[in-house]
Amino acid sequence: MTVPKQRQPLLFPSKSVTVGAGDTALVARVQAGDVDAFEALYKQHAARIYSLASRMAGSPDEGEDLLQEIFLQAYRKLGSFKGDASVGTWLYRLAVNHCLDFVRSRRAKMGRVTDTLDAAGSFEPVSPRETPLARLDLERAIEQLPAGCREAFVLHDVEGFDHKEVARLLGIAEGTSKSQVFKARMKLRGLLARRT
Amino acid sequence: MHPNEIVINDYVDAALDRAERADVERHLAGCVECRELVDDLREVRRQTAALQPMEPPSRVWTRIDRALRQNPRSARPMWQWLPVAALLVIGTAIGVRYVTSARPAAPVVAAPSPNGGGAAAPGGNDSANSAASRELAKSVEDDLLQAEQHYQRAITGLEQIANADKGALDPHTAATLQKNLSVIDQAINESRAALKAQPTSEPAQQSLLDSFKTKVALLQDTVALINEMRKGNDAGAARIASGLKQKS
Repeated sequence: MTVPKQRQPLLFPSKSVTVGAGDTALVARVQAGDVDAFEALYKQHAARIYSLASRMAGSPDEGEDLLQEIFLQAYRKLGSFKGDASVGTWLYRLAVNHCLDFVRSRRAKMGRVTDTLDAAGSFEPVSPRETPLARLDLERAIEQLPAGCREAFVLHDVEGFDHKEVARLLGIAEGTSKSQVFKARMKLRGLLARRT
Repeated sequence: MHPNEIVINDYVDAALDRAERADVERHLAGCVECRELVDDLREVRRQTAALQPMEPPSRVWTRIDRALRQNPRSARPMWQWLPVAALLVIGTAIGVRYVTSARPAAPVVAAPSPNGGGAAAPGGNDSANSAASRELAKSVEDDLLQAEQHYQRAITGLEQIANADKGALDPHTAATLQKNLSVIDQAINESRAALKAQPTSEPAQQSLLDSFKTKVALLQDTVALINEMRKGNDAGAARIASGLKQKS
């Protein structure tokens, strides 16, 4: 059995991060208008941001569009990069905000005024004896999660934010974040095979 | 009695204190259902932690690259021409007296305050915004404030450096300049109001920055006009003055 990779919580710019020399040079080149340098920046960070966007949106197709928007926005705003955090952290923060904006906008368009995020979580106990034996792809299972608990789950379990940060990002109570993550885990539990 | 979901969640996340953890473990020792639940939730966490980043399709970079190269105006970073414009204005002003009308050198747009002061009225329905929306709006506002400060330093510097030779411009040209400035200031205020209502509106952001750019260009033309007049180049001065009047 492989040892799971230790996932470190990703830092926000408010926490001090040492800026690498490579970061500085690359950013300077982009700021001078070097598109090739921007492509290098893209290649360094696109996978992580695409993963975040796809999982938050619940769709790889939406993830592609979000990835494009995020990097075009980053190109326009790179002048505001102050260098007090790594450019990866800056990009990530931009991406998180953009993804949150997207999911909020989509929720508003769907007319869901009463957000499921604040609904009291009632978990559906699934007897392990009843779960399907076939193993489902976890990525697809995450896509199938209801929007509200998927967002909390992705931010907490995938991206490594603590509940306090998840609550702040999603504009919900910390207890609601815990409840939504629990709900997501329970739904995934029902979809994934048990270990024997 | 089973522990509630929050307690189970916190136990799985190792977020309980020692006493709470001991309580749960005492319960788990005698409850197969909860033990299996905890095991399964830990398995979900383990598999989730093992997720790898997803590689985006190559077409995404192709689209980004195309957008950057084919639409330089929309993709152009807002910061690329700001310092250049500011430097041009300040550089042109060296050794040249810039004459204003009687209008005082007040800031074009008041710095945004927490209450949304300045030219725009405060946003109306702030209570409806989530914390994340406010953070995004604040980030956008911070960027725009930085841009405004760039321009305002250039504009204020011009007005302060050369303010002694009132009357160097004929009254009609001075009036035209004042009128143009008022129109631009109005556009700036309207853009600010639009941004207060929709902080993430890119058209409103672009409109605001375009208005600043126009104001700097107008001031550059005015400085150039004064310079031509000082050199005694009537033809050059007439050409610039004509351009100023056409823009009114």
